Amino acid sequence: MNPTGFLAPSFAWLFLLVIPLVIVYFLKLKRPRLTIPSLVLWHSVINDQRVNSPFQRFKKHLLLWLQLVILLSLIFAAMQPFLRGGPGSADNLPILIDCSASMAATDTAGGPTRLERAKERVEALIDGALPDRICLIAISDSARQLTEFTNNKRILSKALEKLTVRDVSGNLENGLRMAQALARRETITSVVLVSDGNFGGLETSANGQVIAPVDVELPFELKYERLETSARNMGITAFNARRQAAVGTDESLTSWNVFVRVDGSPAEETSGEVVLEQDGQEIGRQPIALEPGQSKRLVYSLESTGVSSLVARILADGFDGLDTDNKAFLRLPVSRSLFVWCDTELESYRHALEVFPGVVVYPGPTAAGQPDLFDLAITETTEKANPNLEASVRLVVGQIPEDLAELITTRTGSSPVVDWNRSSLLLQHVNLDNIEITDLPVRGEDVLDQHFREAGYQILATGRTGPLVLARHAPGRESYYLLFHTDRSNLPYRVGFPVLVKNAIDISQHAAGLAEVHGQSTRVLDARTLEPNQAYTVTGPGTSNQSFRTGPDGVLSGIPAPRVGIYRISGPDGPVATVGASVLDAGETSLASADEIVPRDEELRVGASSTTIDTDRPLWPTLAWIAFVVLLVEWWYFQSMTARVAG
Amino acid sequence: MNVAASDKQLTSLLGNETLARLERLRLQPNRRKTNRTQGEHAAGKGGSSTEFADYRNYVPGDDVRFVDWNIFARLNRPFMKLYQYEEVMHVAILVDGSNSMNFEGKFERACQLAAALGLTALMGVERISAYVVGASGEPPTVMPPCSGRVSMRRLFDFFERAECGGDATIDSAVESMLRRHRGKGLAIIVSDFLTPASLARPFNLLYSAGMEIFALQVLGPTEIDPDLTGDLRLVDSEHGRTVDVSSIGELHGIYREHRERLEEHVRRQCRIRNGRFLSISSDAPLDWVLFDLLQRQGWLK
Repeated sequence: MNPTGFLAPSFAWLFLLVIPLVIVYFLKLKRPRLTIPSLVLWHSVINDQRVNSPFQRFKKHLLLWLQLVILLSLIFAAMQPFLRGGPGSADNLPILIDCSASMAATDTAGGPTRLERAKERVEALIDGALPDRICLIAISDSARQLTEFTNNKRILSKALEKLTVRDVSGNLENGLRMAQALARRETITSVVLVSDGNFGGLETSANGQVIAPVDVELPFELKYERLETSARNMGITAFNARRQAAVGTDESLTSWNVFVRVDGSPAEETSGEVVLEQDGQEIGRQPIALEPGQSKRLVYSLESTGVSSLVARILADGFDGLDTDNKAFLRLPVSRSLFVWCDTELESYRHALEVFPGVVVYPGPTAAGQPDLFDLAITETTEKANPNLEASVRLVVGQIPEDLAELITTRTGSSPVVDWNRSSLLLQHVNLDNIEITDLPVRGEDVLDQHFREAGYQILATGRTGPLVLARHAPGRESYYLLFHTDRSNLPYRVGFPVLVKNAIDISQHAAGLAEVHGQSTRVLDARTLEPNQAYTVTGPGTSNQSFRTGPDGVLSGIPAPRVGIYRISGPDGPVATVGASVLDAGETSLASADEIVPRDEELRVGASSTTIDTDRPLWPTLAWIAFVVLLVEWWYFQSMTARVAG
Repeated sequence: MNVAASDKQLTSLLGNETLARLERLRLQPNRRKTNRTQGEHAAGKGGSSTEFADYRNYVPGDDVRFVDWNIFARLNRPFMKLYQYEEVMHVAILVDGSNSMNFEGKFERACQLAAALGLTALMGVERISAYVVGASGEPPTVMPPCSGRVSMRRLFDFFERAECGGDATIDSAVESMLRRHRGKGLAIIVSDFLTPASLARPFNLLYSAGMEIFALQVLGPTEIDPDLTGDLRLVDSEHGRTVDVSSIGELHGIYREHRERLEEHVRRQCRIRNGRFLSISSDAPLDWVLFDLLQRQGWLK
């Protein structure tokens, strides 16, 4: 391969300018005149053989040669030559740029952020990689293609300039998959990754190396350019609250335990204070000192009535690399009872529910004023069969979902429970051994478990002829289906039955946020149920207003939350919710850095390189400098010659 | 030169102290080339001076007044006493007045040296004549032959009024001088000797005319060591001819070699004719040249 090339070889016609230059030089050559007593000696000098040697003849027209050097340098510069960077350079070069939360960190006090340093590296790559076509891809929780493949520097620089940090964890696999997809339609031999090496799911290998395993095959050479990192950091990685007492009545004073988990740098000691504010008032302040890699959980006790906003802040002693993880938000909900709908025909369930405090069962003599949305519905009707019954968690007894009618049917028979998912929230601590079921769900011929998964259902328990318990998770809605009727089984007479009901209540309480609330992490806001078919406006930190619309089920989901801060959801009648999103990611807070990226084929391990990757190097600036220097030399030579003569 | 002497100075060319010291010096030619005119130079036996030289046998016809009668009384044979001739030596001073001398005080220094050497000749009771040759084809400015201390003022006036300008070469200048000069003696040529023509012919003419050659080369400091750089068009001051020289700064070494070669050529031309040659810089101190260099080189005593 030719080690050099030209971007604009058409400018070679400028070499014709050499002809007029030489002509003009000899026509306009004007030497300074100097009158001397006699030319006798100079004639003999000029006729000396040594003076007429080829080298002396060259020096005779030194000015002409200097002018030719200047002209040729400028012509070559106009042709835009470049030096190939080696076999790694390619026609199409995707550049993956990490812009996850850790890229907002600074490694020295007052220094540039990692993203700014990454931008400088990428800018250098763009300058050096031409005429290769470059495609910029930003990696955070997802991968975004910033530009198409182009060699237009303006477009690339503009896209790079607009790139900002997203306060979310980095997902390298998404970026590599995007590059993989690009490789299917473009010829790509190498991909450059510029990152600090902080990705999700880092592991430590046996030899102490930090590796980033990715479940992706690499059909190209991955050049992993890692930024040098040395930041000390301390951040909040979890922010939760748990109600202390049992659920009371509405608007009663409720005690909460608030938990703040603080993680420190894996390599350095960190210290500071953690301040907790409730509705803008400081209610707690605790000092904290962490050994390298240590994390601590701080507990605060507080009481609240109604909705309450909590903010936890870290005031670090000295330098702290990442600011965004020093703040976390939590919203304590209104204290109220759990609203449960239970069909009157399901006596066993109603009987089990009676023993749990803080649970209001509908319909019932004590339940006044039926709510629009139940926290839990235990019913024999599916959602489609009874759309008027709206609940966050639905436990359907003895019914097969309509969309699974072709996959499974119920016959009369006897079937034991073969296996069940003991770690599922609904069936944990529920023993289904020796349960006799007279309803026999039978799957159709050639129907596999995969078909249920493809339909969006998770099998929690399986009989001999088909699944017995299914679960379906949708934003703001959770549904559990017992495909057999419990009344036609001996389950209500077992210890596991009240445990099953208790699990359903716990699931409902968590879904309603009545028992425990978790801090909202960035990336996507949790789904919430609002008015159906209604447009809402979401205003977040550093972003313009975004409009979203709820579906017929009233669930508002998929709201991106890329930045740490408060997100306000407004409807046509004004604000309806305020959510604070925080980083809450131990990986991002640790600022750990992967030494190697291990793809699916482990033989293609990619080591980190802290040096700039060798790319095509444009030579025109060098040539322009040469021309400029020669011009200065010529000017100096001419001026000094004139000065001597004048003197 | 058109420089008038001040009231206290006898001449603008030389200081009074210098003149006083010069009065005690005499020219020292290698060979005595004299004329029959009686003068101060011992020019051989058979003269009429009081300086005894030799004896010879008497031959009939000899003047008996010069027979040594004491020897005749002892040996009874007549011997003639021979005495030294004391004849006059003609000193011709030729000053190059071409344009090439009109640089860096070369002509002024040439006139000073010519006046100084002429003064020593006058003090030695020689007949001197002086010539300043400027343009070729034109008659030179001549100071007719004169001698004696009384001619000193005339000598100084001549060189004070000497003008420089023209394209005369040494060849033509010598020819022009010899057309007017009569008598043997010494030819003092003060010039830069920057001439393309060979010096053999004019020096042969002088030698055959019975003149011993004292060649004194006067060069300017920049002619000895030129300090030039760059590309130049050099213009000849006499003919206006030009030559383009590039990277002149690189040629200083070669130039120096050629200048030394020229000096050696002139020196050799003088030496083979029993003459003397000396090259000086126009900025060399005059007293040092007159009372040190020229005496060390045997020109003056």
